[in-house]
Amino acid sequence: MEDMNERMRELERRSRAAFDEGVAGLPVATRTRLARARATALGELRRRRLRGFPAWIPAGAVAAAAIAGVMLWQDERAPPGETALAQFEDLDLVAGAEDFDMFAEDGDFYAWATDEAARDMG
Amino acid sequence: MPEEPLTRSATLPAPAARCAGRSAIREAALDTERALERFLAGIERRAFGIARLALGDHAEAEDAVQDAMIRLVRNYAGRPAEQWRPLFYRILRNRITDSQRRRKVRRAVIAWWPGGDGDGDAPDPVDSAADPGGGPDAALEGEEFLARIQRVLAGLSSRQREAFMLRNFEGMDVAQTAIAMGCSEGSVKTHYFRALQALQEVLGEWKT
Repeated sequence: MEDMNERMRELERRSRAAFDEGVAGLPVATRTRLARARATALGELRRRRLRGFPAWIPAGAVAAAAIAGVMLWQDERAPPGETALAQFEDLDLVAGAEDFDMFAEDGDFYAWATDEAARDMG
Repeated sequence: MPEEPLTRSATLPAPAARCAGRSAIREAALDTERALERFLAGIERRAFGIARLALGDHAEAEDAVQDAMIRLVRNYAGRPAEQWRPLFYRILRNRITDSQRRRKVRRAVIAWWPGGDGDGDAPDPVDSAADPGGGPDAALEGEEFLARIQRVLAGLSSRQREAFMLRNFEGMDVAQTAIAMGCSEGSVKTHYFRALQALQEVLGEWKT
């Protein structure tokens, strides 16, 4: 058993070393493209900062809050029980899966944003 | 209604305080930007290595890493820095899965289309791996070993492959890997152990 564990540890070490070697030897062109990709991603954050939005507000949050506001507003006018499911299906089409995590974990922000959106719509 | 203006002025900050508040927010945003830049610079090459192994295609791997960077910055820049790595790999994992699904559909369509052979433009990761037989023209020892690993990984379930790459190549701990894979820590341990066993069976006796 000990021998088996030792062999597995050796395999882990060798495979990691081979991977590290491969990553260290990436061609300059690939490294350049990765650096460019990073700059593109960060450019969005920079633009947001210059517009005065704090970094902690995800880009789609205001739009999602507005959608949630519209849903709540419509829900008040629709027959009970009819629209809720269909509206969530619509929301699923416009929001990515990762964005949905935010609803669960940043509840306070979304509650505030929804209130704001509902207030704007009168 | 004389009370209203008084109440408002009591809750609104003075212009100087508002200015200081804005400047603090700007400073915090700059700090986040710098921290994210360091994080992405430190992770991008390994992420590319993992994506390339999973997808077997250089250009697709670059696209997947770029998309994952953009999504992380767009949606999670405000999260604590220690959450960025598992979140980034979760996004990358989803992106890789999407690419693989799209590739499958493309192949199915080509195979169904009259005259299509199903092997069009998307190389199979197993086929595109280096020849394990080696020989005089074989690449460097490390590359050859990595190509063998790639072949074995291609034959594993996606969960086993992910657990192995995140734990072993990226060096993530069990808890971070569980977040990245969206499963329990127990599952990570099981998948990782099975992947290691499979690699051991094929590569255990391989000598360089």
